[in-house]
Amino acid sequence: MTVVDTTLAPVDHRPAEDLAASALSLARRFAAGATMWCVAREWPSHGRHVAVEFVHPVIVGTKALPAVNIEGADITSTLRLLARPGDVVLAVSSASDRPTVDLLRRAEAWGLTRVWLGAGPRPSSGLAEHTVWLEGTDAARSARSGDLVLLYHLLWELTQVVFEHPGLLIPEPECTGEACITCSDEGRVAEVRAVHGDGSAAVVMNGGTETIDVTLVEPVAVDDLLLVHAGVALTTLGR
Amino acid sequence: MTHMARELTGFLYPFIESEERDGSSLLVDLAASAEEKVAQSRRLRTTTLERCASRLAQAGEATAQRFRQGGRLFAFGNGGSATDAEGAVDLFLRPPSGRPLPAISLVDDRAVLTALANDVGFDLVFSRQVIAHAQAGDVAVGFSTSGESRNVLRGLEEASHRGLLTIGLCGYDGGAMAASDAIAHCLVVHSESVHRVQETQNALVFQLWSIVQAHLGEGADA
Repeated sequence: MTVVDTTLAPVDHRPAEDLAASALSLARRFAAGATMWCVAREWPSHGRHVAVEFVHPVIVGTKALPAVNIEGADITSTLRLLARPGDVVLAVSSASDRPTVDLLRRAEAWGLTRVWLGAGPRPSSGLAEHTVWLEGTDAARSARSGDLVLLYHLLWELTQVVFEHPGLLIPEPECTGEACITCSDEGRVAEVRAVHGDGSAAVVMNGGTETIDVTLVEPVAVDDLLLVHAGVALTTLGR
Repeated sequence: MTHMARELTGFLYPFIESEERDGSSLLVDLAASAEEKVAQSRRLRTTTLERCASRLAQAGEATAQRFRQGGRLFAFGNGGSATDAEGAVDLFLRPPSGRPLPAISLVDDRAVLTALANDVGFDLVFSRQVIAHAQAGDVAVGFSTSGESRNVLRGLEEASHRGLLTIGLCGYDGGAMAASDAIAHCLVVHSESVHRVQETQNALVFQLWSIVQAHLGEGADA
């Protein structure tokens, strides 16, 4: 009889550093009043587990923090209603889970900070502010062998440590000025809220509502995702 | 500054912490702490899997035997352990490889859980479901990091009484579960960290599952 080797695939330096950066970000968001929305479509039990860790910590004296697990047929519609700009979405999934990828793209427009935990082939960058990945592993096995549980336990532990450093719980530096590549030189993701019929549309972008020019990408419909630069929609990213 | 140094000097310099503005040194500490905990978690898994190897082999063989004869697996626990029980059920029902096997979580149904908790008390939420669902050829798996969860223990006692194969997963020194005659196979993770216990419990269940798959053959690549 052969037995599966359940030892952890090597965790190189990178996941530890990514976890540290995620924890600092997460603590800052919590300190500013954020709720963390947990989504684990492929493995709903992990979404529930990570939420209960934050809401009801196992270590007495640590902070209870607002985390909510979201499940159901349409997590995107649910979170569009529930999440507020400045909140956090914590996704636990494989890189190939399309509804999670779709949610993360929209979450950028909604003004959420995105933390993405997973295993298996690493996703393309740019879908989350923080991607913590167990590469070189099989996602389905990592999900059940304790590897993913370890990842979010560590996220919780490190986040609690950041709360011991109140001076660091200030908001993250804002993107300002023309030099910022993210906001200035490249397009931003926007989600259509209303189409006006005169070549303009109301969109949500960076968590706020704006009116933009959609003549280059018409026709557009409510919930379409657009790439916007300088008030003009340049391309459609899907619905 | 080390934690101890902070405690000693904190009353003299109460503003130091709140003046801390540069997160870079904290990030280095956090990453080092994460790596240390990963190493701890790995060691605990390795030593526990080794120590529990023969117990796991027996539990796996007995569980496979129950499945072969048409038995089902029921899993339960509280809080994070409830989700680990759900994860175990998911692993058996929708395995990454091998043969799907019938498993049911006793923490899934909110109506049943709240009805039982409201009407007969939380200690009985699992045992009453065992009475309702289980048959002598089934398997019951209970999770409790402390080994002291009364409802998990009551569930396993009821299961044992009804002829189910009983498997318990617990941490610390095993608590009341390790001492219970109602648990045929008790797998104890010797750690006082609930998180490290849960991580290793996942690994134990994964190993149990892979042993079951190996016994049942049929395309299992385990």
